[in-house]
Parts: sequence; structure tokens; C-alpha cells
Amino acid sequence: MTADDRLDRRAFLKLTGGAATTAALAGCSGTGGSEGEGGGSTEASTDSGGESTEMSTETSESGGSESTGDFPVTIVQGNMPSGLDPHDHRETPTDVVMLHAYEGVLTRTADGTITEALATGYERVDGENTVTFTIREDVPFHNGDTLTPDDVAYSINRIVQEDVGFASPQRDQLAGVTGAEATDETTVTVQNDGLNPIVFSEFATYCDVMQQSWVEERSKAEVGQQMNGTGPFQLESYTEDEEVVFTPFENYWGDAVEVTELTFRAASEAGTRVNQLLQGEADVIVNVPPQEVQRVNDNSGTRIAAAPSTRIIYNAMRYDVEPFSSQQFRQAMNYAVDLNSIVENVLGGFGSPTGQPTLESFVGHNPDVEPYPYDPDEAERLVEESGHAGVEIELNTPVGRYLKDLEIAQAVAGFIDELPNVSATVRQRDFGSLVDELLTGNIEDKPPWYLIGWGEATFDGGLVMTALLTSDGALSSWSNEEFDSLLADAGDQSGDTREATLQEANALAHDQAPWVFLNRQYSVYGVSERVAWEPRSDERIDASAMTPQ
Amino acid sequence: MSLARFLVKRALQGVLVVWGVVTVVFGLRFISPGDPANVLLPPDVDPQVRQQVIAELGLNKPLHVQYFEFVAGIPVGDLGLSLVTRTPVTGRVLSKVPATLELAIAATVVAVVIAIPLGVVSATRRHEPADYGATLFSLLGISTPNFWLGVMLIIVLAVQLDLFPTSQRPIGLDGVFGLLVAGQVGNAVDGLLAWAWHITLPAVTLGTYFTALITRLTRSGMLDELGKTYVRAARAKGLPETLTRYRHALRNTLIPVITVVGLQLGTLIGGAVITEAVFAWPGLGTLIINSINARDWPVLQGSLIIVAVGFVLVNILVDTLYAYVNPQVAFD
Repeated sequence: MTADDRLDRRAFLKLTGGAATTAALAGCSGTGGSEGEGGGSTEASTDSGGESTEMSTETSESGGSESTGDFPVTIVQGNMPSGLDPHDHRETPTDVVMLHAYEGVLTRTADGTITEALATGYERVDGENTVTFTIREDVPFHNGDTLTPDDVAYSINRIVQEDVGFASPQRDQLAGVTGAEATDETTVTVQNDGLNPIVFSEFATYCDVMQQSWVEERSKAEVGQQMNGTGPFQLESYTEDEEVVFTPFENYWGDAVEVTELTFRAASEAGTRVNQLLQGEADVIVNVPPQEVQRVNDNSGTRIAAAPSTRIIYNAMRYDVEPFSSQQFRQAMNYAVDLNSIVENVLGGFGSPTGQPTLESFVGHNPDVEPYPYDPDEAERLVEESGHAGVEIELNTPVGRYLKDLEIAQAVAGFIDELPNVSATVRQRDFGSLVDELLTGNIEDKPPWYLIGWGEATFDGGLVMTALLTSDGALSSWSNEEFDSLLADAGDQSGDTREATLQEANALAHDQAPWVFLNRQYSVYGVSERVAWEPRSDERIDASAMTPQ
Repeated sequence: MSLARFLVKRALQGVLVVWGVVTVVFGLRFISPGDPANVLLPPDVDPQVRQQVIAELGLNKPLHVQYFEFVAGIPVGDLGLSLVTRTPVTGRVLSKVPATLELAIAATVVAVVIAIPLGVVSATRRHEPADYGATLFSLLGISTPNFWLGVMLIIVLAVQLDLFPTSQRPIGLDGVFGLLVAGQVGNAVDGLLAWAWHITLPAVTLGTYFTALITRLTRSGMLDELGKTYVRAARAKGLPETLTRYRHALRNTLIPVITVVGLQLGTLIGGAVITEAVFAWPGLGTLIINSINARDWPVLQGSLIIVAVGFVLVNILVDTLYAYVNPQVAFD
């Protein structure tokens, strides 16, 4: 019995050791097979290619100071791109990756001004609802073929016409555009459903140009795994969820770039990104939280670079429920909040106060409208006048969606709660469920008072106000006939007339106070000292503008 | 009950467990806030475009249809398409398994290598400084949160002292194996070193709790064994103390310890989520966190199914071996 027992135990120990080894081996050998099965041949080959590239990158990075002409850059964002099809996404992190390989007909300079890219000219056709683009000649795609106006027209149609490609989530980013065709060897004519005053603004921000034949020869999945654009960088390797590597495109039509290898990675934790920067594993990281700014600045090889973004943060108040139905009460809420203090103390200076829905440098911004001053006495008086003294209100806020969103909400509610005749609290919400309520289309489903943010990469105040404040805007909880008619007028105007109408709408919004106006959010980046680069308002991280320093 | 019948029975139970996991995860999907379409698309999207995208993703089908389609795909290895990248979930999830398995195994190795000697020393020098030291270590290890330890290790060992990288997995063991097969022995050795260099901090982070646990387990098991009659008999026979302790007592102590190690391996695979996020380690944990943030339900379901299957397999293996080795535990 004892002998048997001992034998069994020994056998057991051997077996366990054997099982562990087998499991380890199975884990290793299983990999190659499963990757091949799941992703198809493309993925498998990219994977192994990616690995060997990474190994060599690692060596060159750990070498520290680069020899002349070697300037690799690694950018770490919060998320990896959701795929490589430039027409099948709707997020900034994906856009930032795309813009290195794909280009549009128009683009923007760092200060937001519209400028030519693949087009050398653009104009409205008088008396018709069309615009034309003159397409640059002798522009090569990464596969060596030359860009044609047909490719441009196809790309526009792939976005706005479902039967050309698929249901592109970008269709309404080219709002008003109905289709395009190549009308001669260098011209593309774009049809609109009306005057479409913002059409060039839209094309300067959206519509990456792809090659028609390249797309048509590939399955949808392949288009999402490979790239063939006209941009300054071409795809070297793509490992889904892990990294995208670019090398400079030697035949690029524009100025040559200085970055010799461009790598995109992702880390969802802000702390992880900061550590990667400090350790030299990343050269540019996004969204450095204010409490980490000191660490980045104190480190010898890194700095903080910040720029005002296109995102506005505000507290919407429903116009149809008490006490927010009273204009005096809404104004009182604005007077009660010390916005400068929030920008200084909560956001560490990375923000600027607002007093109207349209941000500075946007079309329609009214320079004569100032943010509400901090005046608690006036606030108290207005609350009394509104007849809602003694009311209790609750601010719904998402947590972790915007820079310091919860802290901003707590400060706002804190200031309002200091009024002797109003008490305010904060209710933390999951962003997904809050947005669900905001999007049902029924104003009754929305919370009476909520914090939300809005980014508008087109720099157009008309789009912001239509979506957020007109009676049937996608995210509106306000209704005002005069405001609606101003925005409707702006839709049929262009140039200075439109600008003046939008400025009037901004002044009206300030006085009516449908929101507690809060801050313009800043994009805060951590940057390695070896890279010279200035951040932009439109959140584009453009590696072709990076140089060694 | 014979071994074969036992295995069949456990396999069927395993299928039931996995089915339960699938059903619960599917149920969670419909009670959790946040419509995937609203996370994928910004609020300003034209309602018609929104509807088209929802239809393309199949999110407009009735619940039971979505459920049956999903369950029907599982036996043939089809876990659907990711809502975000539109690529097959199966390949995407399986490609993350090696990274997580490596981490779990490395953490186990760290734990076993440190914990068993520590537990033995602690038991044989009971109430001496070494024992108190080991106890303090276990207490700290059990009560230190993973993410905090990870962040501290990064700040001190990676950022301040520059000894280790903070993140990334430049090459996997599978890659090293591939290089070896290709005959590139030098590169394979370099690869293995790079792998070890990158996995050290995450493995220590993930393994610390486990180390503390096994230290305590080894200590108490060893004390138990040392007090038993056969040990006293061995001593009375005049066997050297070393032989008594390590050939007899330690071996008996290790049986339950190894069982726990096996079972904990499953927990480690599931529990690597936080550690992977802190170190941006490209395994299942990172995939799970990202798919939760993106409301990418098919990927989340796929990852959890793989974790559940792994858990079930490890459990069956451990139970089988345990029953095989110990006749007092029958196959039932």
C-alpha cells in the first residue's frame, strides 16, 4: 500500500512536470497555426514581418542617439486604429494614422486655414449647385500608378453613395454632397443638393483619396488591412491591436519628410503612456492628464506641448423643464460659476473660458461676446427674480470621457451650491448610457442638466450650432424660433453675410444662456526633446512636420 | 467509475459551463448601458447613416436570432466579426493567447521559484527571524494591489533606474521558436533575452500575490507533514534530517501545492487583465479592456469564451491527475 502510494506520488509529480511542459509547448506551437487560420495569409505574413521589423527597431532605438539621417519616431495614442480603410471609421486616433498615407483634395495648415493638397484649384460654378476641383498632375500612388480625376470622383462617391462601396459612416461628414464625376482630364465636378456653403470646409477635413482599381481588386477585409495612398508615408507593416509601421514614400509629390520610420502604438492607460515617454519608448504621447504634467516637464528629455483643441465643454439645460425654462435662472447659473478658477485650478491652465457656442478661430465666432463674469450676487438676485429660489438641481456628468470631466462638474456644482438659494449635486454617469438618452430624439428622455463635450474639426460654427442648439439638432435640448431662423438663413448664405448671421446667433445664444458655458478643451501632448513638433488645434499629429532637434 | 467515463462526464460538464458563460455574457450585453452603435459613431451622425451601419453590423436583428447565430458558430470556431475592425474574432482572440499564456506561465515560474524555498525555510525555522521575514513578505504580497505594484516597479526599476522597459512585447516565445526552427540560433538567443527582459516586470507584478499564497501554503503544509508519525519514525530510524525534510516531507507537501498551482494558472489567465493594461502587454487582457471601452461585444464574448475554455481544461486536468494519484479520491 505504502509502496503503491509512493509510486503514485512520484508518477504524479512526473506527470505534472510533463503536463506543464506540454502546455507551454502547445502554447508556442499553437500560435503560428491559429494566426494563420484566423487572419488569412495577409495577417500571418504581416505578423512575422512585423516581428522582425520590431526587433530591428528595438536595436536602433536602444542605441540612443541616432547616427546622421536616422530619425525614427514612435507615436502612442489611447487606441489603435479600427482598421486601415480610410472611409470606414469615425475616430480621431484612426484619422491620425490615416493622414500619413492618404490625402484629400484640400487640407488645412496648422492654424486651420484651408489649402490645396491633391487639388491645385477649387471653385464654385456660378448659378449651379456644383463645385469643381482641378486635380494635381503626376501624383503617384504608393503602388506606382498615377492619380486620376476618376480616382478622386470614385473616392467621393464611395463615401456618399451606398451602392458604390458600402454604408460609409462618413457620409454625413460630406453633408450636402450627392456625387462626383471626372469631367475632363484634370477636373472633378462635385454635385450638391443646394448651395452648400461649407463644402470646401468639409473637403479640407474629410474625404481621403483612394485608387479606384486598387480598391475594386480587393475584398473589404483586405482594404482594411493594407494601404495604397498618395501620402508622404507608405505602410511597412500592420499588426492589428499592436502596431502600424510606416516608412517614407520616396516618390512623394510634396516635400520629403525627415522621419525615417514612423510607428504607431496604443496604451489605454495615461500613466503607461507617460512612462513610455519618460523611458524613451515613445516620442509623442496623447492626452497627458494635468497631474502628470509636472513629471513630464521635470524629466530632462521630455516636454509638454499643448494646443487649444476644437472641443467645447458645456452644461446643457433643458429649456422645457423648471427651473431651466427660465432665462434668468439659466443666466444665474452662468454668473455663479468662476470659470477662470476652474481653468486655472482644475485644468492646470490647459483650457480657456467660453461664453458662446462657437470657439475662437471658427467661422462665426463673435469677438464682441465675452464669457459671463463671476458674480455670485448677481446670480443670487437672478435666481430670486426667476422665482425658483430654494430649488435642488442635479448635474449629470460622464466620467473619464473628457479631460477632468468629473472634476469640472464637481467644481460647477460646488460654485452653484454656494448660492444661498440653490442647492446642486453631481450625478456620475456611464458615458454610453448618457449618450443613449441624448440621442433618442425625444427631449423628455434627456436629463434636465448635463455635461457634455463636442469636437468640430471643420472649424465651422454653423455646424456646431445646428447640431447642438437648433430645435431639431442631433444633440439639442433647446428651442428658440429666432435662433432657428438665423441658422436657416446661414444655410443659404456664404462669405461675410453668413459670418455675420452666425455671429448674431452666437450673441443670441450668449444672452439666452441655454448652457452653462464652460471651457475649450486643450490637447496636451508629451513630446521627446529629440523631436521638434508643434501641436495643432485639429488634433492631427502630422509626422511630416517633425524634424530632429 | 472508469477514467474514460470520468473524462466524458467532465467534458460534458465543461461544455455546459462554457454554454453558461456564453449565455451570461450575451445577457449582460443587453442589460449593459451603451448601445455599441453610439460608441462607434459620434452623436452627430445622420440617423439614416446610423441605421445603415446598425443593419450592416446585424445589431437590428431580434435578440434570440443574434443569440442562436452566435451559439451556432461556436462549435465550428466562428465567433463572429468584431464590430470595430470587422475582422474575424476567432483569429484575433487566438492570436492574443500566447502572450497571455506566456505571462501566466512566467508568473507561475516566478512564484514557484521564490515561494517553495521560502515556505520550506519558513517552516523549518519556525519562529525565527527567517520565518517572520517570510510571513511579512507574504502579508505584503497578498495585500498589495497588482496595478499599484506594477506602476511602482515601472517608476522605480524602469523609469528611474533604467533597468527594464516599461512596456511592449517585441517578440513572443513562438517567434523565438520560429527563429530556432529557421536555424537562426544567434537571433533566437537574442530574441529569448529580449523576451525575458520585457516579461520580467509584468511577470513579477502578476506573480507576487501568487508567490505570497504559495509561500503560506508550503509553510503550513510542511509544518503539517513534519508533525506526522512517518517523519518521527524516519527520524527515530536515524535518517539524516535533510533527507527526512526534503525527500519525504517536502514531497508530500508539494501534492496539494501543485494542485493549487494548476488551478491558479486559470485564475492568472483571467487575472492578467490589469497587469496587461499597465504594461501595454498585447494579450487577452488588453484586448478585453479595449473591447469593453469600444463596446465591441463579439470580441469580448470571444475572449471570455477562450478564458472559460482554458479554465475548464485546466480544472479537468488537475482533477484527473489528482484522482489518479490519490486512490482516496475516486473518479466521481
